[in-house]
Amino acid sequence: MSTSTQHGESGARAPGRPEGRGPSRGGGLARVGSTVLRAVLTQRVLLLVVLLVLVLGFFLNLSARNYLAAPFDGRYLGLALINLPPLVMLALAELLVITSGRGGIDLSVGAIVSLTGMVFGLAHGQWGWPLVPAVLLAAAFGALCGAVNGGLVAYLGFPPLITTLATYYAFSSLAIVITSQQPISTAPIQDLYVLARAVPVVGDVALPLSLLVFLLPTVVVVWLLLARTAWGRRVYAIGTNDVAAEWSGIDVRRTRFLAFTAAGLISGLVAVVTTAQFASARPDAGTAGNGLALPAITIAVLGGVAITGGIGRVSGVVLAALLVVWLNAGILLAVAGNTGTQLQLLALGAVLVAAALLNGLAVRRYGAVT
Amino acid sequence: MSAAAPAPPRGSAPRRAAGGGRVLPFPVTGQELVLVGVVAVLWVVLGLATPAFLSSGSIVPLLVATAPIALIGIGVTVVIISGGIDVSVGSIVLVCAAVAATAMTASGLPLVPVLLLSVAVGGLLGLVNGVLVAYGRVHAIIITFGTLNIFRFVGLQVFGGSTIDGIPPVLAVFGRGEAGRTLGVPHSFLLVAVVAALAWVALRHTAGGRHYYAIGGDAQAARLAGIAVRPRVLLAYVLTGLLTGLAACFVIAQGTSTLAPNVGLGLELSAIAAVVIGGTSITGGRGSVLGTVLGALLVQTVASGIIQLGWPSQLSSLFIGVFIIVAVGVDLLRQRRRRSA
Repeated sequence: MSTSTQHGESGARAPGRPEGRGPSRGGGLARVGSTVLRAVLTQRVLLLVVLLVLVLGFFLNLSARNYLAAPFDGRYLGLALINLPPLVMLALAELLVITSGRGGIDLSVGAIVSLTGMVFGLAHGQWGWPLVPAVLLAAAFGALCGAVNGGLVAYLGFPPLITTLATYYAFSSLAIVITSQQPISTAPIQDLYVLARAVPVVGDVALPLSLLVFLLPTVVVVWLLLARTAWGRRVYAIGTNDVAAEWSGIDVRRTRFLAFTAAGLISGLVAVVTTAQFASARPDAGTAGNGLALPAITIAVLGGVAITGGIGRVSGVVLAALLVVWLNAGILLAVAGNTGTQLQLLALGAVLVAAALLNGLAVRRYGAVT
Repeated sequence: MSAAAPAPPRGSAPRRAAGGGRVLPFPVTGQELVLVGVVAVLWVVLGLATPAFLSSGSIVPLLVATAPIALIGIGVTVVIISGGIDVSVGSIVLVCAAVAATAMTASGLPLVPVLLLSVAVGGLLGLVNGVLVAYGRVHAIIITFGTLNIFRFVGLQVFGGSTIDGIPPVLAVFGRGEAGRTLGVPHSFLLVAVVAALAWVALRHTAGGRHYYAIGGDAQAARLAGIAVRPRVLLAYVLTGLLTGLAACFVIAQGTSTLAPNVGLGLELSAIAAVVIGGTSITGGRGSVLGTVLGALLVQTVASGIIQLGWPSQLSSLFIGVFIIVAVGVDLLRQRRRRSA
């Protein structure tokens, strides 16, 4: 471990630091420098791009010097993206819920994934439903779970953190009890593994099918919803100030209810993705270990979603997830065995805290941050 | 049932103490009375359904199992009253348990130094949380989500990838066994009762304790009223860390001589559940540690009752979820009535 940090320091300095940005080049360049610094600190997307370049440059450099267990190349980067769809989709679910404000957060997404996965497994694997109706059922059932959260939060005024903590318990318990802990891995479910297979895109770079079939449409739809529909603007409005939104004639409750429902729907689709990845509907798919909810919230926050609501962009979330996935993939190659997987935890936590602190700093120095 | 019996006096909310004209809430909140009633009803029903339930062979393990959640819950209560939250306690348990277990097996440390070591490590991790939350100007949930992962890494590193085996029974004074009780009362629960009583008095009757309510109600107003908000908030997280360090010793004592690296996983959610069921407002400014202990007792009663009834043990999570919803719902109704009255 100590050796790898040494490499880390020597390698991190090498890439991504163009010469001639120093303050010695006169007033003009200094002004450019401070503008760049300001942009990087205040625009989360820019910061993430810089970090992404640094991480990729660092590991490519290590790879070129044969420090890694396997080459860190396009093919590997493509294959590593198998972890991306659940992470990004759930982080987008959190984006919707957190942005809708008033302490909005959804701890139950992982439990919804578990429960919906079992329902999907029963429908497709045991009742013999064809794939498309079964996926639609999963989406509808996930939306129903989300609607339970949304109803309690938006219409009855329950605090989101506690409500979704409660439904996390309830859904994860039901997921385990529903088949008395037995995973479903009948032939139709095993055939779904094709979704996790990689399809060649450019050269020897291949992308997992689930990324193309589930993730991309979800990203596009959520972006359209948030950036191009009236409902999306209303989400930002109620997240910024829901009293003002109420007075300007927005149906605050309905908007927030729909945000939670949409988050549930996305979680339902993630259930299909994880079922395909495991080739089995597992009752603990979204709740094993730390669960899927905590990483999703972490990614969302890292992606610039303000925990207080009203701020958050799809591009930030996608970039944050890419950063984490590729950082994790690199760590696995650089550090062998258990330490590698454990270092991923450290990396995730450190990046999150650092980004949050940086955000606070930027707010103090420059005012608003997007 | 017993909720109706003691009938708190009408208009019980503010009572003026004789001297300084201080306004204090009624010593026991409605939520706590309801909880006492619910736990009592559950115990009676479970006692009728399975005669073994009310025997000491069943109640003592129940109290012992309640102890760590209640202890952590007391710290988390203070944090939540101050308007924050701490989701990293499960990972703190992991680190403390790993350090304590390693110290006992590798260097044969006796009881008191083990306790001090574990509490000190917990306090140190709490200090990290506290400094970041109080001085970093970042929402507590983000910081503690981050430290949850970081502490988990630290703990797993101490574990070294496998289980810790052959832990000597140094901590048996806090265990389930005969060594763990005096006159039939488990030491761990006794300690929880003492800590809870101290915390109750401190929160209710000291200026420092009242400051937490003020900070949770409105941090800005509290600052303008001359409260040193940041040191206070910092202290809440350190306190939680210290208590979690002690709780980690309880967790080791309850287990076998083998400690697995999944220790403490998800404990933060159980602790928060206990706090919320106990009537503490998640938005801060309101709450009590007695409710938290009762909430932890309720959660553990349900878990143990379901096992005794022979139902699938995972069903207890469903009930915890329902209890949280009911507890929060009752609290919301009460608030609404207070506001309209």
